[in-house]
Amino acid sequence: MKRQIILITKKELKYIVRQNSLKVLFGIITILLAFALYAGFTVYQQKIAMIKSAKEEKRTEWLDQGDKHPHIAAHYGTYVFKPKTALSLFDFGLDTYTGTSVYLEAHYPHDFMFRPAQGYGNIIRFGELSAALVFQLLLPLLILFLTFQTFTKEKETGTLKLLFSQGVSLRSIYLGKLLAYVLIITLITAPFFTVLYVLGIVENTNSILNDTSTRIIFLFIIYTGYLGIFSNFSIWVSLKSSNARNALLTLLIFWITTGIIIPKTAANFGETIYPLISKKIHKENIQRDIEDGMQPSESKERRLVDLKDSYLQKYQVDSLHKLPLNFEGIRMQANENYSNKVNDFHNALLYKQFENQNSVGSIMSLIAPYIGVRNLSMAFAATDWYSFNHFEKRTEDYRRYLIKTMNEDMAYNSKYGEFYEYKANRNLWESISDFDYIAPSVNELFPHYWVEFASLLFWGLGGIMLIPSAKYKL
Amino acid sequence: MRLILLLWRREWMSMVRNPFLMILLSATFVLGIYSIYYGHSKIKEQYQTISAVENIEFQEFKNYQESFKKTSNTIEVKQTLDIASNPAFAWYRHGYHAILHPQALSHLSLGQRDVEPYYYKLTAMSLYYQLFENEIANPLKLYVGNFDLSFVLIYLFPLLIISLTYGLYAEEKENGILPLLRLQTKGLKKILLIRLAYYFIVIAGLGIILSIIGFLTSVTSNILANGLWFLTVISYCGFWFAMMFFLVSLKKNSSLTAITAAVLWLLFLIILPSFLNTYTNFLYPIDNTTLVDVTRRKSLENEDDLNEAKHIVFEYLHHREDLIGADSLINTNTMAKTYAAFTALNDINHKKEVSTYFKQIESRQRWLSFFRWLNPAVNSKGIFNEIARTDSKIFQSYYESIQNFHQDITNFYFKRLFLNKEILIEDYHNLPRFNLEIDNKSINRNIIVGLITVLITSFLFFGISLVLFTKITS
Repeated sequence: MKRQIILITKKELKYIVRQNSLKVLFGIITILLAFALYAGFTVYQQKIAMIKSAKEEKRTEWLDQGDKHPHIAAHYGTYVFKPKTALSLFDFGLDTYTGTSVYLEAHYPHDFMFRPAQGYGNIIRFGELSAALVFQLLLPLLILFLTFQTFTKEKETGTLKLLFSQGVSLRSIYLGKLLAYVLIITLITAPFFTVLYVLGIVENTNSILNDTSTRIIFLFIIYTGYLGIFSNFSIWVSLKSSNARNALLTLLIFWITTGIIIPKTAANFGETIYPLISKKIHKENIQRDIEDGMQPSESKERRLVDLKDSYLQKYQVDSLHKLPLNFEGIRMQANENYSNKVNDFHNALLYKQFENQNSVGSIMSLIAPYIGVRNLSMAFAATDWYSFNHFEKRTEDYRRYLIKTMNEDMAYNSKYGEFYEYKANRNLWESISDFDYIAPSVNELFPHYWVEFASLLFWGLGGIMLIPSAKYKL
Repeated sequence: MRLILLLWRREWMSMVRNPFLMILLSATFVLGIYSIYYGHSKIKEQYQTISAVENIEFQEFKNYQESFKKTSNTIEVKQTLDIASNPAFAWYRHGYHAILHPQALSHLSLGQRDVEPYYYKLTAMSLYYQLFENEIANPLKLYVGNFDLSFVLIYLFPLLIISLTYGLYAEEKENGILPLLRLQTKGLKKILLIRLAYYFIVIAGLGIILSIIGFLTSVTSNILANGLWFLTVISYCGFWFAMMFFLVSLKKNSSLTAITAAVLWLLFLIILPSFLNTYTNFLYPIDNTTLVDVTRRKSLENEDDLNEAKHIVFEYLHHREDLIGADSLINTNTMAKTYAAFTALNDINHKKEVSTYFKQIESRQRWLSFFRWLNPAVNSKGIFNEIARTDSKIFQSYYESIQNFHQDITNFYFKRLFLNKEILIEDYHNLPRFNLEIDNKSINRNIIVGLITVLITSFLFFGISLVLFTKITS
């Protein structure tokens, strides 16, 4: 049987190589892949140069801000720029739609500013050509064109009957053909991901990824698997179709429905059933809870009275002036803590809504494997929503650490009632370590993407079941 | 005429008897209805937010006006009156909303309305503190895009056209009917054109019916916009029919015609625009890292240092020759004037960076707009957005109008603040108002030029196809 499979594979490969129109399509896709990788790499380098220079400038500004009161420094604040991951050269993911920088200052956790899409004009909504897009949409189409008549042609020309009469089973023919297409896929994915691996290793010095190699291996596996699933499905459709035209139409409809219509409908449907709050209302809710408290006993006035009492009691004094610290610093930090608690509560509700919206798409990946591979690809390239969310949380942690340090300095080094008289200096600014970020490891991503993994597994196992058994007859 | 009716009746019967085509037409209709619903719900959400912010502004100013009439001496009333009449408080407390209202057909082509903010709350504080904020949005949803009617018309209608027409000649040949048709006295070309016209009427008719349903769900009506929308639907369908006529004229087999049509669809709707976007990314990189500093809330380092404060006011007055005599009034409300001057200077000093940023965006969009005319799909999507007033140029005009509005707000308050004049109740009749300055003539010219380009391309393909059909022998 093995020999039969290998012979069929060789025959199928010969047939594919002889088709000129497919050679042209293959050439075009290779050029697009090379262009996408080159463009991704160039843009990646441009962006990291911009970010590096801006990061250094902001750090210098922070250190050289001169002597001033820590609270003024806390408002002066600093900026954090969203770093590009080395793998964003492969999959741009959501980078065009998430903000690129955030201002960190006292009291207000600002949102990320400057979504690149805002300056890119109407055409950006048609998408960007990344290598990931080629793998997700264009290569499946090439596979579809290669495979739609793999069985129908055998049926139309009568070679299938001839093969049967020679004792070759349908299973061997099927597996032989599948092996031929898997070989072609590997011929594309293996060299491509080897180049990506080398680029990823070279670029790793600037990268925020600790596990670039693992991520690339995962990318290789999921893309080879995805394209394998697509090949298997296309061969099966060709086997089941009465003629080439029907096979082609069925496959084209499948490609368009699962690659274009379902992903968009799912995302839009998710938004319809889980609507987002407007920023205005979101901010108002936060402000209201900070002022009035999340519980009736937690109003701003009440919190202040309780805080005063607790400090007077703790230090056994009857006046804030007698405290061995500046109560203003303590009060500011207590307000920050409460404001952080309120923000965390409301942001958790908002993020839950984002997750609910995205989960609609994830579930639909069981029908449309494209969604599964798209989401996993972004995740491994660290350009997905969870990676952005992780980065956003780290910047907020950093803001809190910076503000806390400023408030504590004010509390323990200045006197109650004085403000402009007290000035902190470079020593304090230097005590704030620069913002450094490492993206979450691959392990941390798995819980968020189990549906997508399940979807690809489902399609993979389903595909195996489609392979005709040895006893199967047409 | 008899022949036309005869052929159309035949096409109608074959279409009705073909469950595949009926499912396809019904599915497109259902998706069209969903797209109208989705667009409508998105715009409804935006109307609700707009109504909420307008109400907040209305209530705020109503309270200010009523505070002039109140006789009670409570702290709350006095505080409100202070904010209402004293420019030292009013300049940063009075909040105005600059709103980009949806237009009649915005729900049919959402364009950039989900990426760009459509309302801003502005005070007389630095414009740049307020200009770069974003509305809450799910990045994954932004990435996927909107399932509005323009998406259905631009992406799905060509697929419908391809499905109905790819076999118009080849299938007759493959089914053996061609020799029979050749025996007819009427030419094959004439028969083909009549059949194409039938499908054109069916599909463009479907587009028109969906558009009418869309118009009926609109909050306001605009006859010119409706007319232009119809023309765009017809011209875009016309382009794809001309393209299919061209492919059919090549007289290849049905599978090859279908593959070529699918590749052209992919080329116009995915490859060319996404290639252009990626190429433009490294050709026109937009560096917003230099811009972040404009949003920084800097403040005086020592409010007790009157000399520093006065120096800032004088520096600002140097830019405001219209505030004659303000320098001699500096001792009243000095700190309020200082902060007002401080934030205004932020705008003046950063004008160059902001202008450079917007110029980068402008250059990028100018470059992209050149290619728009070469791609009828991108062109038609641009036209839909322009008709619906949701394109990126509208947002550019919106930003420019916001700058003028902010200037009016600043002038209104700063004249009173720096010249020590109270805000009187009469002044509330002359409050700054937001005027969206849109060059409608230029937009309509763009739409007309766009339509002409699509029509010229269609006629060109149609003309070539007429010649080809006669010359190419099958």
